[in-house]
Amino acid sequence: MAHPLSDPAQELYDLIITARRAEAVDVLLATAGRTGFKNMVSGLLEPVLTRIGENWMAERISLAQGYVAGKVAEDVLMTAARSGEQWSGERKGPAVLCCIEDDFHALGRKLVGVFLRSAGWDVIDMGDDVCAADLVDRAVSAGARVVGASAMMLSTAMNIRSVREELARRGLEGRIQLAVGGAIFRLRPELVQEVGGDGTAESALQAPALFDSLLARSLALAPEVAP
Amino acid sequence: MNSTQRVFAAVTGEPADRRAFTLTLSLYGAALTGCPLDLYHSVPERYLEGQRAVLDSIGPDILFSPFVLPLEGRAFGCELAPQKNGPPNVKKPAIRDDAGLRALKAVDVESDPGLAYLVESVRLMSREFGPGVPLAGILTAPTDLAAMILGIERWLEILLFEPEAARDVLHVAVSHFHAMGSALLAAGATCIVTPVMFCNPQIMNPELAGTTVMPVLREAFGNAPGPVIFHHGGIPLSRHLDLFKDVPNLLGFVLDERDSFAQARQSLGPDPVLLGGLSGPHMPGRTPEAIRRRVLDVLQDRQDDPRFILATTSADVPMGTPLENILAVRNAVFSDGSPS
Repeated sequence: MAHPLSDPAQELYDLIITARRAEAVDVLLATAGRTGFKNMVSGLLEPVLTRIGENWMAERISLAQGYVAGKVAEDVLMTAARSGEQWSGERKGPAVLCCIEDDFHALGRKLVGVFLRSAGWDVIDMGDDVCAADLVDRAVSAGARVVGASAMMLSTAMNIRSVREELARRGLEGRIQLAVGGAIFRLRPELVQEVGGDGTAESALQAPALFDSLLARSLALAPEVAP
Repeated sequence: MNSTQRVFAAVTGEPADRRAFTLTLSLYGAALTGCPLDLYHSVPERYLEGQRAVLDSIGPDILFSPFVLPLEGRAFGCELAPQKNGPPNVKKPAIRDDAGLRALKAVDVESDPGLAYLVESVRLMSREFGPGVPLAGILTAPTDLAAMILGIERWLEILLFEPEAARDVLHVAVSHFHAMGSALLAAGATCIVTPVMFCNPQIMNPELAGTTVMPVLREAFGNAPGPVIFHHGGIPLSRHLDLFKDVPNLLGFVLDERDSFAQARQSLGPDPVLLGGLSGPHMPGRTPEAIRRRVLDVLQDRQDDPRFILATTSADVPMGTPLENILAVRNAVFSDGSPS
């Protein structure tokens, strides 16, 4: 059973779940004004996002509610950027995201980007319909150790195989880890292996934990600094 | 019994010579006839050839209209992207700014080439296959059409934060549902099958579903000029059926493979038809023997449920599915000894 949230965290959770986005952002910014952004993130926002992620994964809350959580995080993130605040205590490095070739379902990818940024990743979002070579090129040029490819349907998910092939062709397996996601991977979890993914997440809110684990695996397998 | 008699026996709960079954083989007709998808999804005669091959090779008890929902989006201005192995995707939504939102209006079914193709395909099938084969007309739910023409993110924004705009969009979507549903039924469709995602509690907050979305579905389905089958849209549905059981004019529900038929019956009572049992997108990755066992297990589970039709769930059966996998379904149904 999950630990109870603190009173302020429960208040924030309730605001997000009932789609009171502006009020939720106000609460977070007011807290940041008192304690600083970093403490607000670790003490208030992160526990609430963790709880929302748990409930989303357990199908106790809806995509729309997860979406509101993403928008609240994004609103606060943008405010932090404008004010020059340090968002997170730990920078994780670059992560490159895209919807794979022929896929145009952007929402899940965008939410993943929001939650990765809030966890300290420098997200490079390449958008929809990205071919494997372009994705790998961008990852190499940015020095990214984790890339994320999203697909909603079976037919487009199969295009992710070409990312695995491209990584192998360039000798980057292990060093660049491939996260895969999208609705079809929830329906057919075995597809993660079929398309050559190194891992997937149940929801956008679980993406930071996945990317953290893939980064750790990359560093273990290829500790050298890229040329 | 012919297929229509068998399917209607399932609707009325009467005995039949065997269990009615169907697979969503809209796309598979192109595989059987070797038809390029751009032609298959634009020329009604080519679609008819494909469905003729489906009927001859497999013989499901229900055939489907073209499963190309993005054609409805294109009628409103969505830009589509062709796919190598499936129907086109929506590349860009129709409405990209507030001006587009304000200008949104219903489209004419007859003058739009994509909508006319959908209707004409049903008309040709009805003419060729006659009254002995039920035809399911696939149609986007109004709630989901809104997501298609606005994009999922913008639609969520509007639903969550702009209720008046949401009502305006849904009004147009309901008009389209009625016009297109009427056209499909007039062309010979036996019923409308409509995948519904955007009021499932996994997608939409239950409160929002209750206040904004469900009234629209009640209006759209209640005023449809023929029976409507509620399709799970790729999301498990059985534990949410209490929300939908009183929606008027619903003949039945297609459930996800992960759903529990027993739970569905508990929510719905004995009358609505339940369809499902076998995931369409999983068909290529399973062996014929695994498919046979799955079908027999489902039929065993439903042996005392006369209002059940074995069907594939989720999306269309992929084109690359070996024919022997599909025939395994038919053969299992034919060999099943349980009462139907």
